[in-house]
Amino acid sequence: MSDSTVVPPASVVLVSGGSRGLGLAIVTDLLASGLKVAAFARTVTPELTALGEKYPEHLHYGSVDINDPKAGQDFVKEVEAKLGPIDGLVNNAAVGQDSLHVHTSADQVAAIIQTNLTSPLVLTRFVLRRMLAKGLKGRIVNVTSICAQRGYPGLVAYSATKGGMDSATRSLARELGGRVLANSVAPGFFASEMSAVLGQTQLDQIVRRTPTGHLTEPDEVVPVVRMLLLDNTNINGQVLVVDGAASI
Amino acid sequence: MGLVERDKVRELMGEVMKAQGRTLPSDDAADLREIGFRSLDFSELALRVEDELGDELNFDAPGLRRITTVGDVLDFIEQLQTA
Repeated sequence: MSDSTVVPPASVVLVSGGSRGLGLAIVTDLLASGLKVAAFARTVTPELTALGEKYPEHLHYGSVDINDPKAGQDFVKEVEAKLGPIDGLVNNAAVGQDSLHVHTSADQVAAIIQTNLTSPLVLTRFVLRRMLAKGLKGRIVNVTSICAQRGYPGLVAYSATKGGMDSATRSLARELGGRVLANSVAPGFFASEMSAVLGQTQLDQIVRRTPTGHLTEPDEVVPVVRMLLLDNTNINGQVLVVDGAASI
Repeated sequence: MGLVERDKVRELMGEVMKAQGRTLPSDDAADLREIGFRSLDFSELALRVEDELGDELNFDAPGLRRITTVGDVLDFIEQLQTA
């Protein structure tokens, strides 16, 4: 294996939606692994602030709406100035859905697509342009969902965006010719956060059908994200499902 | 936006059930599972009410999960219109 084909571990990673839930868990884990991390979210939480105090030299964070591309680009430039060039991106920011498609307004459908598909693609484009212009290699991890592969009521637009990101992942892997490893991590339903959309009856049903007997926890997804960012695996253009085999 | 009165909503609900060969009981306390009124039937009713209103009644799913009786359906549609 020649060096020219190896994509080195990421050293400066940008995590969108990094203030709570899985995003916060990813940020925490990467900092503990010694990486420099940048995180933004619409609202900065006390937990993210506390991480900033604990890792003042390694974490840069701020309040950025992913749907504001100018703010996102300004943030990326701030990160580069403080931490160095970004060579890892985790597209985690997303909004959930909890409404049947026929009762979801057209504006709401557009907003879900904007936040979960268009804005991550625009951010990815910008980060990649900076990365490639500097001659860097890098890694992209898109946090998608089992919804991209299996149908669930009340999640039509959400599922479409996650499927879109999985598709983009495959094309990115091809397009970037091995200079950037692009993969998706698709968690099953969490016991909290967005899975509140399903209702207890549906969640209980999913648990019964899951061989491992429990819903996915953020801590079970974090090592997979870390592997894709740091390890030399040659995994590229893939969707790694983390759901205890609930969906097979 | 005008308001589709409760009696009219009940009438529309009866039409939804009649189209499926069932009858809407007169008792508001009737259990939806027992009379076979499912979530998609609720969607059909909401869309019929929208037709009457000339406007959309969009809503999230959690409210739907609390609906268990005929009266709940009528209350929910009423709340949607006044929200």
